[in-house]
Amino acid sequence: MTRKVNPITLAVVRGVLETTQREMTLTLEKTARSSVFNVAHDYSNAIFNHRPEMILQGQDIPIHLGSLIPAMKFVAAYFGDDIHEGDVIYHNDPGSMGSHILDCCMYKPVFYRGELVFWTVCKGHVTDIGGPVPAGYNPDAKEIYAEGLRIPPVKFWDKGQQRKDVVNFYLANVRSRRDQEGDLRAQLGAVTVGERNLIALLDKYGVQTVRDCIDELMDMADRHMREIIGAIPDGTYSASAVLEDAGHGFGDITISAAVTIKGDECAIAISSPPQIPYFINSYEGNSISGVYLGLMMFTQVDPPYNEGLYRCITVDLGPKGTLCNAVEPAPHVNSTTTPMETLADAVRLALEKAAPERAVGSWGHASGINIAGVDARNNEEYVTMVLASLISGAGATAHMDGWHACGPQCCFGALTSGDIEILEYSYPIVIHRYGLVQDSGGAGKYRGGCATEWEVEPIGHEMTVVSFGEGRKYASLGANGARNHVLDSKLARIDLKDGEKVTETLRKNVVLKIQDGQRVSAINPGGGGWGNAFERDPEQVASDVRNGFVSFDGARKDYGVAVSPEDFSVMADETKRLRAAAI
Amino acid sequence: MSKRFRLGIDAGGTFTDFVLADEQGQVRLFKATSTPDDGTKAIADGLKQISEALGLPVAEILNNADLLVNGTTVGLNALIQLKGVKTGLICTAGHEDSLEIRLGHKEEGYRYDAKYPPATMLVPRCLRHGVRERVLSDGTVLTTLNEDDVRAACERFRAEGVEAVALSFVWSVANDVHERRAAEIVREMLPDVYVSVGVEVFPQMREYTRTSTAVVNAYLGPVLERYVRRIDDFFVGLGVTAPIRYYQSNGGMAARDVMVSRAVNAINSGPASAPTAGMHVAGPLGIENIITVDMGGTSFDITLTKDGKTNLSKNIDFLRYRIGTPMIQVETLGAGGGSIAWIDAMGLLNVGPQSAGANPGPVCYMRGGELPTVTDANVVLGYLNPSYLLGGRVKIDGAAARRAIEEKIAKPLGISVEHAARGIFDIVNNNMVNGIRRVSVERGYDPRDFVLVGAGGATALHIASLAREIGVKKVLVPKLASGLCAFGQILSNVKYTKMSACPMRVGPHADWERIDQRFHDLEREAIGALQAEGFETKDIRVERSIDMRYLGQVHECTVDIATMSVNAESFKEIRRRFDQRHQELFTYCEPDGVVEIVNIETTVSGVVPPLKTASVASQGASAAAPVKEHRNMVFGHGAAIRSVLAPVYDGEGIEPGMQLTGPGVIEEITTSIVIEPGWVASLDASGVYVLEDKQVAAVSSGLASVEEAVAA
Repeated sequence: MTRKVNPITLAVVRGVLETTQREMTLTLEKTARSSVFNVAHDYSNAIFNHRPEMILQGQDIPIHLGSLIPAMKFVAAYFGDDIHEGDVIYHNDPGSMGSHILDCCMYKPVFYRGELVFWTVCKGHVTDIGGPVPAGYNPDAKEIYAEGLRIPPVKFWDKGQQRKDVVNFYLANVRSRRDQEGDLRAQLGAVTVGERNLIALLDKYGVQTVRDCIDELMDMADRHMREIIGAIPDGTYSASAVLEDAGHGFGDITISAAVTIKGDECAIAISSPPQIPYFINSYEGNSISGVYLGLMMFTQVDPPYNEGLYRCITVDLGPKGTLCNAVEPAPHVNSTTTPMETLADAVRLALEKAAPERAVGSWGHASGINIAGVDARNNEEYVTMVLASLISGAGATAHMDGWHACGPQCCFGALTSGDIEILEYSYPIVIHRYGLVQDSGGAGKYRGGCATEWEVEPIGHEMTVVSFGEGRKYASLGANGARNHVLDSKLARIDLKDGEKVTETLRKNVVLKIQDGQRVSAINPGGGGWGNAFERDPEQVASDVRNGFVSFDGARKDYGVAVSPEDFSVMADETKRLRAAAI
Repeated sequence: MSKRFRLGIDAGGTFTDFVLADEQGQVRLFKATSTPDDGTKAIADGLKQISEALGLPVAEILNNADLLVNGTTVGLNALIQLKGVKTGLICTAGHEDSLEIRLGHKEEGYRYDAKYPPATMLVPRCLRHGVRERVLSDGTVLTTLNEDDVRAACERFRAEGVEAVALSFVWSVANDVHERRAAEIVREMLPDVYVSVGVEVFPQMREYTRTSTAVVNAYLGPVLERYVRRIDDFFVGLGVTAPIRYYQSNGGMAARDVMVSRAVNAINSGPASAPTAGMHVAGPLGIENIITVDMGGTSFDITLTKDGKTNLSKNIDFLRYRIGTPMIQVETLGAGGGSIAWIDAMGLLNVGPQSAGANPGPVCYMRGGELPTVTDANVVLGYLNPSYLLGGRVKIDGAAARRAIEEKIAKPLGISVEHAARGIFDIVNNNMVNGIRRVSVERGYDPRDFVLVGAGGATALHIASLAREIGVKKVLVPKLASGLCAFGQILSNVKYTKMSACPMRVGPHADWERIDQRFHDLEREAIGALQAEGFETKDIRVERSIDMRYLGQVHECTVDIATMSVNAESFKEIRRRFDQRHQELFTYCEPDGVVEIVNIETTVSGVVPPLKTASVASQGASAAAPVKEHRNMVFGHGAAIRSVLAPVYDGEGIEPGMQLTGPGVIEEITTSIVIEPGWVASLDASGVYVLEDKQVAAVSSGLASVEEAVAA
């Protein structure tokens, strides 16, 4: 095998690219204002080459896995020759490959001796993007125009000069201007740090060597993915997954994937019903992320990640105007969680039919709440997505139980919830409970991870609670024969409480107003299990009961294991009887 | 601290190091094989060696010595091996699971990994007991403490045989009445149990961090307590009457009882003395900005000291457990002599983090190791002697190292063995450079303003290359490098860090008195403790800092304010420093933005008198450096490598004034120093090698530094 690049230089260049991406991330995370940036890690920093191909993406949130690739190409093509040193471009428009309008992306072309060599890119979920509902999720929107501000590719800096009028135009259209200005600076810091590091890399090795190394890195990723795909028997494998209605009157929606493997190439075709006047339609850029998430859950590829990985993959999202290939004027803001997770499940399930040994339980889909109100302490308005309320259970794998409190699937462990004291200091609330939910993990030989419950009460004001997401009707999918018998506790729901007493359990998306003394408890779904639950080691079941992850009743019904209430030991005879009866 | 000797004992995993300094500044290093089951056996062994070397009875040495013990590995190993005690947690009802939710995060690098397990719980869910009580963020009580709940928890713990109890209530930092009352009940009901109270261990905002810190402290407390008791008994048995001090992760010593009640504070004390040792080495040369690098068999530790001051880190994940208490900021990487070179699924060459460790060790050690390591590469490159190490105590097989690199790396990549070996060398260097960037560039410092100080046996093979890679022109390697950390410990002050949560938005009605009073209260406590230990007021030093942020940010930025009082006037200067620090770290600041104060912290030190520095004798500058032999060594990068016949100098015979021009290698018994082409080495009278990059047009630093980047 002949190599045009020195393998050592190659490894060093790879290291520098990773460090650069890391430092971009650090800059953003430590300085941003939006908690969705700095706590949720709902951002993505990437580096593109001059073509522009994505040469490195961090292990940030999977929502952005695929969408950056077409978005960057669109932005570069849009400006064509009109790209200059010192330009900084901003963009969020799903109509031009953005994910959803809350994900605002900054692109900085990097020039070296007058030549465009790289792009540094920083995309993040901002606090607010205007429109009728704070934080951007407007369930009543029938069209994208009613959701917030769309930003087609626009220059915020032109040859090093800030276009104050344009930036002001943007800021005038969004809430909490102070935070938004801070976030813009944080993004600019990130892309600038990236630019500096890349220029130093070029100083050291020269443009040609660096370019050769990067091409080789992408070829390597390509070869690696082809090896995985090539090991799957040829054929077409199909599967579908259901996106539940969640009480909005559109009924259940089925998304299907047909995966055709031919040699070391893989074609993924999606079909979904026509788009609907409700905010869960997904435009092209976002849907590509959903497809890639399914692919990554299946292939479990280790970093580094670059565009080469996807060279042997083709994606057909189905006809324009369908739910997963939406077009104007479809409303879409809730598309990065729902239906992306369902789409990812469909793709993964299809692939798993071809290689069942790689099957995994699905992770709890996103289900959570936003809260808003006026803080009586300083008369300031507040609004926030409660990230903690989203932290669902992870799916079990062929090797182990799912992690508790690690979801949702669309974030795959990248999300963090804020500390409860930081939240109570920032907002006029009491968090009465933040804990794991009994019997919520999917039953299986390996158990799905437990869901979490987040219970809040306002202090001294009326609080608006907006719920979103799904997982309230169908539990997370188990793998390899995993089945649930105790179902209710595995589903997401919203409990409305008067003090400690539940007054109503809601399984649809709602907007509520609550007062002091009232509470809302947001419960998300647990993860899917793996394998036959009746083959789970009874001692492990007993340990789960002892630790409260599973109830006595859950142990009997889901696992066929009788656990002694005296000392949490396995009651062997009873267990034998229960398990025999199930066969 | 005014006795004839200072004796530091550092119980490491493999060796227990003994550093003995006398009044003249003569420093000697002794090593005994560690005895993890009973650390006093290794200590007895070491004391015997010292006694023989000095020709004095053990009792006489001990009674004339200030004694310091670092039991770092006791707590550290208990945490690594999960061998702490059975621990229970009492917390606010509804918040029993914050420890297990871990803010919902999965560590980076394992995003799609189907086999990466969650962290093992130090307190399983069945031993986490919620009690009814609630305090709000402003300190008001929403629900009074239900004492029966606490008693019920104690009954449970008694039945379960729990040995330690952690208590951590929501907002105990705003009002600690409930938490302290509950602790009182626990102490009453379970008098033999170790009690760890959140507000005492980590009195700052962040419930998860505080709970986790209190739990780690409880989990390790009895282990450390037993260790300390055994050490105490041992020394008392030898007739020692003076109190023994212990070493902490904050880079200072602590009295025995303080150490026992704050076991968590010892968790990473091993490398924490590197800055003190480094400053002692650099001080005589007039250097105040240093980065210490310590490469051992499996890991590489980095610390940074600027203007004589070392940053501390708080609220970090250590071995997957969140720890709040301040520790000397140490960046640790899996890069050592034993790090294994391998080719990944995509065909890229990687080095580490897997290590061959001490067993089987590198291939050349002939202990059954088959995978090529960094040490094997160093042998092939001619930097290490191909037939023995440690002055002949360890025999090695250079040919085996060569074969392993050829088969496992060179052939698969289609390159020569020398290319492969230098490639391994370059890649592990690159990993280390990235680590150095994390402590420097990422924290707002330009590494080119620093001097590298080498500690540990393997570091000096790589240090000049690391320096060139980051643009550093000067490097220091003490003859004592392999025992430098143990040495640093006996130079350290007694140091107590006190913290408090003081959340406050800064505005016209800011309550400055409250903050200033809080500082005074914290300091009074610590000063009292130091005075009780015999420190005079003039030897007690106070350093304050404030954690601040712009309104709306989640992360704080620590601003050092020395001994400044806090009031409306002085805050202008504090504010200026905050903006400046934010700019350094993150490329921008907002001088007009609203800021808030989150936490305050003050470190009170009892200053230990400096050690004298002994001089290395010199016969006169004219003598030529003693050359043992010439060896083929490989230098250069990538395709442009070359083999040269270069001298190997005998460290024993090198004197101040001699100039050693690279390429070449200096062999000391416990360390070998590579002088890269273009570098010149000389020995300072203080026993420190100074390596300098004399290349005129030095290769530019690998990466730019993050400085002010944005003029937004």
